[in-house]
Amino acid sequence: MSMILYHGEPNGPSLTVLAALFEKQVDADLRRIDLRAGERHASTMPHALEVDQSIEGEGPVLVVDGVAMADSVFLACYLDAAGSGPALRPADPYARWQMMAWCRHIIERLAPAASYLGLQSAPPVQVPEGIASLDLAGRWRDAVDGRFDDTKLGDSRTKVAQAVEKIEKQLGDGRDWLMEDFGIADLETYAWLAGMPALVPAAFGAKPHTAAWLARVKARPSVARALGTATVADPESVWAPGPEINRWG
Amino acid sequence: MTDVTLYHWEPNANSGKPMLALMEKGVPFDSHYLDMLAFDQHKPGYLAINPMGTIPAMTHGDLVLTESTAIMEYVEEAFDGPRLMPENPVDQWRVRWWMKFMDQWLAPSFSMIGWSVFVGPSVRQKDPAELEAAIERIPLPERRVSWRKAINGAFSDEEMAESQRRVALGIAFLEQALGEREWLASDEYSLADINGFNLAYALPLSQPHLSNDRLTPNIMRWVRAIYARPATKRCWALGKTDLAKRATLLEAELA
Repeated sequence: MSMILYHGEPNGPSLTVLAALFEKQVDADLRRIDLRAGERHASTMPHALEVDQSIEGEGPVLVVDGVAMADSVFLACYLDAAGSGPALRPADPYARWQMMAWCRHIIERLAPAASYLGLQSAPPVQVPEGIASLDLAGRWRDAVDGRFDDTKLGDSRTKVAQAVEKIEKQLGDGRDWLMEDFGIADLETYAWLAGMPALVPAAFGAKPHTAAWLARVKARPSVARALGTATVADPESVWAPGPEINRWG
Repeated sequence: MTDVTLYHWEPNANSGKPMLALMEKGVPFDSHYLDMLAFDQHKPGYLAINPMGTIPAMTHGDLVLTESTAIMEYVEEAFDGPRLMPENPVDQWRVRWWMKFMDQWLAPSFSMIGWSVFVGPSVRQKDPAELEAAIERIPLPERRVSWRKAINGAFSDEEMAESQRRVALGIAFLEQALGEREWLASDEYSLADINGFNLAYALPLSQPHLSNDRLTPNIMRWVRAIYARPATKRCWALGKTDLAKRATLLEAELA
């Protein structure tokens, strides 16, 4: 089986997939691309519908035997099924439902908020050519032109605070990991949240369980190895346009 | 006797997904119909089951599950019956990719159109004070905003145009994918087809200029094949409004 992972700096979806790959001891050819420069849209990259129209926005692309795949949670599910390391999903169907529902919450609410706030703090300088998705191209234009809506910024801060509340409550019974055993829920949640203490510090005040969990995830060997691929000192501050904020408000 | 109860509205969109998955797996369940247009989902009896007031919800013994796509995966894993998730991990990825694409990109556009032409007009004739009280009972703030928009017909021209653009593009993507393989995400019928059918079953009626035998032969082949499945017939028979009746009209026309 041949496997290539095109990934950006270890933040957001690239961090989830890199760490899942290391956790599962999967052998892949790692190729760095600059997501903030729009390199995912270059003609040299694979352009399957599922990559070009991924609603995750700018994220990693995993190519397995010529099939190009996108969307970090589902790439992590794939790696969990294909790799040999410890399971990243619970075996019990109800516990697995809890994990999938948790991840849905993160990708639908936290991820758009985090990427919106992250982009505003460090916007890209140029809209790349070749973006197939019109709505993703619109998010690039807004970011490059500095068009950030105050209502969306406020709502995004609220969503980050709500995510932290949810994590604090989940960890309230003294567990180490969100779903008891370490797994995809920890990776995906951490990956979108790691850059938020600097941007929404108030959300993290008096949240001892969350602070300890953030430190535990960061120290996990697979996560530490993923963070070790960074080419900058602060990968958690590197953002490219992510998923859109829900159009229904 | 069954230890599964499904709280659902019409066999359509989110409600129809777990309904059809349960029917395909052959899992008996108590059907608890909630009249969304009468705001049954925000009444105390249902909020005691699902405090968020979203539809559908499923109970299995003492367990309570929400989120229609996650419920479908649970149904697949917790019960015996025909497989609805392919064995190949790449195909599994593709099933999940399509379900997310539909849930978070295509379905909101379909539903913005559906709410503006069906849900909004259906509830607008109620007493305004009663309506306002019903909206105030909705637990999630964003759902209150959605209901107000639907009832007042307040989707902007720009929002509606964007939804129409996405519906047209989504149809083109579905046609492309169904031109590459027999079913949406793999060579086997899967949860992705159940999810997609709940969005697309009425396309030949609701978007006849975009989806028909000439323009989208693969979508039409796929819709016909799913209509012909016994589980689909049993599922759509549980509908009570004109939404589900579209299936009967189409079944005759597409046969």
